[in-house]
Amino acid sequence: MQTFLQYTILGLALGGAYFIAASGLVVTYTTSGIFNFAQGAIAMLAVFTYWQFRWGWGWPAPLALLMVLGILAPLLGAVLYQVVMKNLRGTSEVTKIIVSIGVMLGLQALATWVWSPTSSTPRQFQKFFGPNAFAHFGSLRVPWHIIISFIIAIAIAVGIRFLFVRTRSGVAMRAVVDDPELLQLNGGRPERLAMISWAGGSFLAALAGILIQPMIGSAMSAGALTLLVIDAFAAAMFGRLRSLPRTFMGALIIALTTTYVVAYFPSKWTWSSSFRNSLPMIFLFIILLVLPQDRLRGATVLRLRERFRMPSIRTAWIAGLTMMIVVFCLKVIMAKTGVNTLTLALTFAIIALSLVLLTGFAGEINLAALSFGAIAVMVVYHFGISGTGTEARTTLWGILLAAVVTALVGALIALPALRLRGLYLALATMAFGVFISRMVLTERTEREIFGLKFTLFTSGQLAIPRPKIGPIDFNGQDAFLFLCAGLFVAIGIGMVYLRHSGYGRRLTAMKDSPAASATLGMSVVRLKLSIFMMSAAIAGIGGVMMAAQVGTVNSDRFDIFLSLALAMITVVGGIGYVSGALFAGIFLIAFIEALNLMLKKFAVDYSSLEAIFMFFISAVTVLPATIGITMGKNPSGAVSDIVEGMNKVKQSKPLMITVIGLEAAIWALTATEVITNWHFVILTFANLILVPIVGGKFLMARAMRGVPKPVPPELIGIDRPFTDEDLAAMDQALNLDGVVIPSSTTVREEPANASA
Amino acid sequence: MSEAHYHEDHGAVAGAPLVELVDVRAAYGTIEVLHGVNLSVPQGSVVALLGPNGAGKSTILKVISGLLPPTSGEVRLAGRMVNGASADELARIGLCTIPEGRGVFPNLTVRENLWMATMAGVPLAQVEEIAYARFPRLGERRKQLAGTLSGGEQQMLSMARALSVNPSVLLLDELSMGLAPLVVANLYEIVAQVSQEGVSILVSEQFARTVLGIAQYAAIVLHGNITRVGTPAELEDELSAAYLGS
Repeated sequence: MQTFLQYTILGLALGGAYFIAASGLVVTYTTSGIFNFAQGAIAMLAVFTYWQFRWGWGWPAPLALLMVLGILAPLLGAVLYQVVMKNLRGTSEVTKIIVSIGVMLGLQALATWVWSPTSSTPRQFQKFFGPNAFAHFGSLRVPWHIIISFIIAIAIAVGIRFLFVRTRSGVAMRAVVDDPELLQLNGGRPERLAMISWAGGSFLAALAGILIQPMIGSAMSAGALTLLVIDAFAAAMFGRLRSLPRTFMGALIIALTTTYVVAYFPSKWTWSSSFRNSLPMIFLFIILLVLPQDRLRGATVLRLRERFRMPSIRTAWIAGLTMMIVVFCLKVIMAKTGVNTLTLALTFAIIALSLVLLTGFAGEINLAALSFGAIAVMVVYHFGISGTGTEARTTLWGILLAAVVTALVGALIALPALRLRGLYLALATMAFGVFISRMVLTERTEREIFGLKFTLFTSGQLAIPRPKIGPIDFNGQDAFLFLCAGLFVAIGIGMVYLRHSGYGRRLTAMKDSPAASATLGMSVVRLKLSIFMMSAAIAGIGGVMMAAQVGTVNSDRFDIFLSLALAMITVVGGIGYVSGALFAGIFLIAFIEALNLMLKKFAVDYSSLEAIFMFFISAVTVLPATIGITMGKNPSGAVSDIVEGMNKVKQSKPLMITVIGLEAAIWALTATEVITNWHFVILTFANLILVPIVGGKFLMARAMRGVPKPVPPELIGIDRPFTDEDLAAMDQALNLDGVVIPSSTTVREEPANASA
Repeated sequence: MSEAHYHEDHGAVAGAPLVELVDVRAAYGTIEVLHGVNLSVPQGSVVALLGPNGAGKSTILKVISGLLPPTSGEVRLAGRMVNGASADELARIGLCTIPEGRGVFPNLTVRENLWMATMAGVPLAQVEEIAYARFPRLGERRKQLAGTLSGGEQQMLSMARALSVNPSVLLLDELSMGLAPLVVANLYEIVAQVSQEGVSILVSEQFARTVLGIAQYAAIVLHGNITRVGTPAELEDELSAAYLGS
């Protein structure tokens, strides 16, 4: 009984804190239509800041609280809205999700930068009124912190309900989501309301973080804290991002269940702590499964700002061939570590391809691509290796089996996607990803199932050898590099073929309007299932290649944050393009690595400026997130910009010859070791970026004078205004010559002419 | 307003205009949709904007209401230039706009919808009183979500806002859209009464018959220009020829 009461009270308090975090989500979602994935990261940042004030600098608690909750947290929310979220009007659900994930990763990198996790003394965070402040109820001792948490949660619940129902500003906040323009016509100020609500949401996140951290009692860690508040997502979904009472109930159910698991599961069950940790995510997944079909608010965007041009099959073959040649040329001049990095980047690019297929082509979202990789790796480890020691090789059958298994798992995860899309699916995949890393990848105990002794993730390390396919052994690094490059090119070209097929057109139709597709007689269910399975299989194959490149992988390699970063950078690169996936792999792995190496080298070479270079090295960790956040400005992706730039080169022969000639010369100099690889990198950048710009100024001006960039007819009026010439050209194409533009009195005679 | 006469060259109605557009151009992105519109709404009169789909009627109303800033030209309210003023500022100084479709918040209750109307300055009790007196049906459904009302009831709700906030200018966009003829006739009766209280009204319509019964002036909008302005009687023939078809 004593235990039951103790844990019930703890569960209630934890539930209260979950509710506070979840209510923050509801508030921001209600007013801006953006689901704030960064909610956990804001809580985390607040915890660290509070720790800094309270214990780092020894401020009194009220002052530290006032500073964090009263000033900094609301300010962060308001700034986030003004600088980042405001630009997301009219962008797709994917962009909204990716940008807020960018904010999350950015805040996390920032916290790790400021508060190094490898600090010599672990940071301890104490309960309010110290660790020994208890209230006594008979024989029951309850920490004051717990009591306060629950009371605050109830106060917040009542307060928000009052705000949303009984005050005009609160009702107006709900009105903003329905129709911001109409609210303006009523005399309201939608932008200001949204900003205030973001400030409020950020305040609630910070409050939740400060309440939760001491209840957990472990040392502070940026990643763990961020995910902790993500547990509140399940509660918010329970209330369908609308109903506060249901959100409260959901939070209590989740928190109580998790505390009871801790209290009553036999301690000899090795998996119960993993189970406790993944419980909120299991809840989230189940809630998403049983959630009645819901018209997601803010999901219907009439005019999206993003636009993807489809490359022709010929272009795809040329690009594939070019890529193989470039990889070969790079291999010749690269050091061994460089080849390693390039191969790893390509394996990530293959995983990113699965995202292009799923999100870019079909409009569905997967935030846990690497988790599919993890499953594939486990399958290969157990069933797909022949030989031992240095003779061990991954078999082709092993890879195929892994692809099949991940495809099946993909089908399972797609279940929520069959009825829901966008945000809900993103959350379901994220829940799956967190579940895999908390529950499956921590599974190191030997179990016996049907008489078969089995360890899922043996000793936390899985050794995956390089593959041998038929007679060809890909054990050597160079051979494996070409395998990965070839695989990327093959899948990429296959995807372009797919996109041009009837199946690909059906995918695009489904992306644009599932309802219209269904009314045309397509089986949306079969489409979604098949595309999700295909995408999962590609992610699985990429994961196996990644593991084979690394050699021995631990669970960190499949971290959910890495999955999120990959998804984010792929969207930045251009989620609609195969080249977007390549961009993601190269940027996330090779570019960051190269940048780090370069800065470290500089720090050694110019030791007097070491501090500055060390600062830049830290800044590099925030870089991917910063780029992700800028998505709101250019939703079509970076690759489309690069392609536009390249088009200049393509249209001007002299420029193209100059660039290719210069590049060949630079490569030849490097290959003969006249200049170093560093020079190669710098000169290549200069050649590819500066020459088109500078050359463009001189050559292009002459070559292109009087020849405006051709705009395809369907984009006239969007890319540039209609002109009379356009009208004439169209009339001619449509055989409407001689038809006078209707004016007021002659309108009635026109149709006869037009149809003649 | 009987002395008001009309200039063919400017296409404007003279008098004491409360709303005035002078050579207004407006664009969505790079596409210009209004090519120099001149228009006046004299105080206390009803002016009808007539024209087919896509002619620019809604855009004219959007420009006046402040939702779409004009690219050039002047928008004047009671003689004051208001280019660049935001829609909410204009709403608070007495411009009431009922946008196309139903001007209601579907996820708010009837009462909460009326509450939003109070931002123009009239207290809620008064807004509710006027609204429920005029439309008893709304009073019965004050706790119902506006999205669950019938089309006619939703239009009543948005009209209730127009009635209760005591505006000096009322802009109505496609009031009749998707409604039964009887409901439309009913709504226009109310529009006529509002205009009798001295409110200046600009109303856009695709289907001209009903509105011409209460409008003092009509302007024909075609291809982003106002091609003709006059009294309904003057425009009768032209209207049926130019736009109503048969």
